[in-house]
Amino acid sequence: MSDLTQVQIEERDGVVVARLTGELDISVAESTGRKIADSVPSSARGVVVDMSGLDFMDSSGVSMLFGLARKVGSHRQQLVVVAPVGRPVSRVLQIVEFDRAAPVREDVDAAVTAIVTPQA
Amino acid sequence: MTDLPGLFEVRVKARSIAYLYAVGASLGLLTLAFPHTDQVRDVPLIVLACIAYMIAAAIWLLADRLSAWHIHVALAAGTVIISLANYYAGPATLYPVLYMWTALYAFYFFPTREALAQAALVAVSYAVVLAIQETDMAVVSWLLAVGTPFVAGILISRLLGGIQHHALELRQSEERTRLVLDTAPDAFITLDRDGHVTTWNAAAERMFGWTKEQAVGRTMRDLIVPPEHAERHDARRLALVDSADPLATETYEVELIRRDGSRFPGEATVSKVEARGEAFVSGFITDTTERVRRQAEREALLREQAARAEAERVAEMVRGMQALVDAALAHRNLEGILRDLVTQVRGVLSADSATIYLADESGRLSAGAWSPAGDAVGEEFAIWVAEAREAMLAQGDLLIGVPLLAEGEVTGVLVAGANPPREFGSEDLTLLRLAAERVGLAIAHARVYEREHRIAETLQRSLLPDRLPDLPGLEVAARYLPAASEAEVGGDWYDVIPIAGGAVGLVMGDVAGKGLAGASMVGRLRSALRAYALEGHDGGRVVERLNRLLWTEAEESQMATMLYLIVDPAASTVRWVNAGHPPPLLRTRGGPRFLEGQASVPLGVLPFPTYEEVTSRLEPGDALVLYTDGLVERPGEHLDRGLELLKHAVREAPDDPQGLLDHLLATLVPPGGAADDVALLTLFNLPVPEEFNAEFPAEPESLAPIRSMLRRWLAHAGADDLEIAEITTACGEAATNAIEHAGTTNGSRFEVWGRREGPVIEIAVRDHGSWRSERDDDHGRGLDLMRTLMDTVSVEPGEQGTTVSLRRRLGQGGGS
Repeated sequence: MSDLTQVQIEERDGVVVARLTGELDISVAESTGRKIADSVPSSARGVVVDMSGLDFMDSSGVSMLFGLARKVGSHRQQLVVVAPVGRPVSRVLQIVEFDRAAPVREDVDAAVTAIVTPQA
Repeated sequence: MTDLPGLFEVRVKARSIAYLYAVGASLGLLTLAFPHTDQVRDVPLIVLACIAYMIAAAIWLLADRLSAWHIHVALAAGTVIISLANYYAGPATLYPVLYMWTALYAFYFFPTREALAQAALVAVSYAVVLAIQETDMAVVSWLLAVGTPFVAGILISRLLGGIQHHALELRQSEERTRLVLDTAPDAFITLDRDGHVTTWNAAAERMFGWTKEQAVGRTMRDLIVPPEHAERHDARRLALVDSADPLATETYEVELIRRDGSRFPGEATVSKVEARGEAFVSGFITDTTERVRRQAEREALLREQAARAEAERVAEMVRGMQALVDAALAHRNLEGILRDLVTQVRGVLSADSATIYLADESGRLSAGAWSPAGDAVGEEFAIWVAEAREAMLAQGDLLIGVPLLAEGEVTGVLVAGANPPREFGSEDLTLLRLAAERVGLAIAHARVYEREHRIAETLQRSLLPDRLPDLPGLEVAARYLPAASEAEVGGDWYDVIPIAGGAVGLVMGDVAGKGLAGASMVGRLRSALRAYALEGHDGGRVVERLNRLLWTEAEESQMATMLYLIVDPAASTVRWVNAGHPPPLLRTRGGPRFLEGQASVPLGVLPFPTYEEVTSRLEPGDALVLYTDGLVERPGEHLDRGLELLKHAVREAPDDPQGLLDHLLATLVPPGGAADDVALLTLFNLPVPEEFNAEFPAEPESLAPIRSMLRRWLAHAGADDLEIAEITTACGEAATNAIEHAGTTNGSRFEVWGRREGPVIEIAVRDHGSWRSERDDDHGRGLDLMRTLMDTVSVEPGEQGTTVSLRRRLGQGGGS
């Protein structure tokens, strides 16, 4: 059960992309957040958390994302979350109005672009 | 006197009459030699004498061919010649003597009537001659002259006849004796003191080939005694002859020689005989060739019978020994060997009791098995036997013991006891000695094997799940039954792996290698499969990766069959991959059926085989049964038969997992245990109730099972995917709160209750902790989620704990 959430890290255009699969609840939220934070070097422009492959996320996952947003923000880095509409995660993020803390995009390309190309 | 003459042979009569002629002729000539008167006419007398001589010679020579009639004629002719001579000689005194002889002859040799006729002829002839010569003779003188020879003939012949009769009787007696001796089958021989043969009967002639004439007068040494026995023969003869006992008789077994040089065995019964002051030896000799031959035959027959009896005894012993060895080899587990052995020993030895003592590593003996039930016997004796390292008897042959040796070590002692009158003997010792060697080895092998078997079984067991996971809505049960005796611990294994999303992986496999190698391969496959399964791979890919592992890393020709099933209770499906394993059985309301199709090769056979998942419905109430071939394979029967029996047994089985497995084992495994290992695993997809109430440990790890349970329950309540996700999320928040309220209290639990009423879902989460303030961000966010996702949310804090109740009506197109 400790493998409830799997994390895969890759790097695109100076952006760290963390792809989550499985389910994210309080049993794994903290460790998953630390795993992602540790994978982001100070040189990175930002981090994308891809939740499109996640089957479940509860409020502990949301807390993990808020914490991550604060952490990367303090390093002048940007967090973008990928959560396609219709997926379970998207609904949760919408309810807690996560977009006040960080942008939510439909796919990884859009997320990376959002970081690489600052809003005009 | 009447029949006396008849006794004489014609030959004797003829010769007698020839003598009579010759004497008559000689007397006639003799009268001429003396001075005589002129009346005597010489020439006719000489002629008559010559005729008489010639007749005498003729009769003598022809004596053998003459008949009684010829004798009569010759006698009558003699009377005529005497009368003629008497006539020519004139009156002389000599002739009446001749007449008298003639009469005497007639009466002596002829029957009375014929003798009277001859005597009459003599009388007439004499009377005629007298009448011619002396015409003036007085009648009295004349009668006297004629009657005297007549009467004298009768008297003398009677006198002679008496003497003759006596002699004849003697001769007849001798003749009869001779006849008896000659017709006797045994040789009769008499010897004088010096060993010269004096009697030699016909049987002796036949027996030895020497005629009586050849034998008489010669010594036994010359005739029939082999040279090497000559000294002994002489010594025995002299001892017998000189014996003081006049009736001394001895019997000897002797070897004798025939005239032709051949030898034969005989039996001589010799006696000392004393007659006329002379001691000699008589003996009967029996040719015992036939007797010896029969004796030899009888002995040969006896020997053959004895040999056959011996052969049968040996055969019996070998059968007995074989029975013991068979008992030792029929099993591979020690307990079975010992149990059978003591039973067999009792039977084979007709023993009252039998005990096998086993030696431990320090050589100490302890009873391993005994029969009959009760106390083991002869422990002290067993210790003695073990020290002597030799089979032996004790207690007046009522105890027998033999050490069981293997590679020079005493592995145990077999002791049997008898009840009188049964006693043990040397044959029993021989039998046990023969059997002990192999039995000892079998026991030693079994002990080594058992040790390995134990290690392998321990390892095997360590690889099987200790306890199966609690799966919401699912119930699993498993059995592992090591093979009864013959086979080694198999490479059977099963596993139950919870997978993210509420699915569960079921594994049933059989690695071909047995023993330690098989068990270690099971360990590797099991770990690898767990890792691959948790990575969320498709079942086919998981199995392909296992195949790769086996192909590249296993020892040569190691193979495994396996089933990998992924049960998704929320979706009511089972996805399965079959790598050469007997098909899983699905029990539905409509009855049991095998999940067949897409079975592929076992692992380790091909480098890159393809394994594909097949999906079947698994409705609530359905059950899956997974097994290894040990359950369905029977010697000499087609696998289909075993599968058919399994299907039947599943149909008849009780409707709960433990009961089902017990029923299958009871029905399908033979009483003595299965020939191969049997692994059994069943999964029941429990019916989905309208209302449920489940209790969980107050820890984060309970959340995933709760979600699994809810997804399945909601799916059956008719919720769509979005509704399931949202309600599950809301309940998850409530459960997370309950877990947080419990804090670090160990062993704390909370309950989840759910009910469906028409389209309305009601769920309550009740904990035993204290409600936290809503200032906590996460907590507030959780409550927000619940309120957003559900129609109504109520929180009821209490002294005993907090209850969060959630309601939502399905079919509204998502929460507000």
